[in-house]
Amino acid sequence: MAAAAAQGGRSGGSGGSSGTGGGSSCGTGIGRSGLLDKWKIDDKPVKIDKWDGSAVKNSLDDSAKKVLLEKYKYVENFGLIDGRLTICTISCFFAIVALIWDYMHPFPESKPVLALCVISYFVMMGILTIYTSYKEKSIFLVAHRKDPTGMDPDDIWQLSSSLKRFDDKYTLKLTFISGRTKQQREAEFTKSIAKFFDHSGTLVMDAYEPEISRLHDSLATERKVK
Amino acid sequence: MLSLDFLDDVRRMNKRQLYYQVLNFGMIVSSALMIWKGLMVITGSESPIVVVLSGSMEPAFHRGDLLFLTNRVEDPIRVGEIVVFRIEGREIPIVHRVLKIHEKQNGHIKFLTKGDNNAVDDRGLYKQGQHWLEKKDVVGRARGSSVLLRNNSPHLPQFPRCC
Repeated sequence: MAAAAAQGGRSGGSGGSSGTGGGSSCGTGIGRSGLLDKWKIDDKPVKIDKWDGSAVKNSLDDSAKKVLLEKYKYVENFGLIDGRLTICTISCFFAIVALIWDYMHPFPESKPVLALCVISYFVMMGILTIYTSYKEKSIFLVAHRKDPTGMDPDDIWQLSSSLKRFDDKYTLKLTFISGRTKQQREAEFTKSIAKFFDHSGTLVMDAYEPEISRLHDSLATERKVK
Repeated sequence: MLSLDFLDDVRRMNKRQLYYQVLNFGMIVSSALMIWKGLMVITGSESPIVVVLSGSMEPAFHRGDLLFLTNRVEDPIRVGEIVVFRIEGREIPIVHRVLKIHEKQNGHIKFLTKGDNNAVDDRGLYKQGQHWLEKKDVVGRARGSSVLLRNNSPHLPQFPRCC
């Protein structure tokens, strides 16, 4: 498919997302070292264990991300992910401080510092739970479309998905937030994962990519979607 | 480069996802560590859960039982209580019962211990020249145990007695 041949970019920002099945020759990326080229497998078709629910969801999410970033050339915004990484890093930092302090000053003297670290750690855990439940909400991609005239703020596209345990219905939701009017529109589809994978567990981009494009185009025009 | 299929998942991840996987593992380890340290702070003992290693406290405790300890300053040690203590120079703590106590007016105590299943008291185990134990040797006092969770398997083989 012509659309899938937008392989021209190994987009620098989003690094090694999963590869598509298109039979293309990997003529790009000559500037990098040979070892790095062999490590990245952007061009290899995605093959996963079809009975493993989380692998299926991850590969579908990654492919949707890839379509949106490479075909429509949006820029990925890492704000949400960075927030989560920061909270986790701070929690681990408290744990490491507690470990080292206790090692250097054996137990009874280290009691107040330990108490402080333990309480802070569990507070951070609480913050992390609230963050992932309310702010992140199963959104795995936030992409910006830069306004070509450079005057209006960016439009934001958000992708979120869900796949229940032991279920085969995959729901993908695309949300469009207009930079100018701050209005929000969303569209979603729910399909069985059997429509996108073949017997051996390879993701067939030819079946998946039109779905994403359809979602996108239905939001890109100005009319409201049901 | 060898084409190892199971590494495909790793190769597909970008820097952020790799870092998140590392963090995930770190968080699991940190949670366990923080729970342990939290127990240490709450009970005041440097080893809040210990495993009984020898049969010297039978029939009360058998090998493999878990003991939950506290080491609060306000609770005085009394005769008949089960304490876990560490002898200077030895790493492994010992679980025995308190036999005799000498107590001074200012609260300073010296005590002697003996295992229920042993024939003699522990003076033979203490350091050369040491006849009494003190508060600083105590790791904690047994407050609860996992005795009820024991499964009644046939009697364990008798290893040479120590501790």
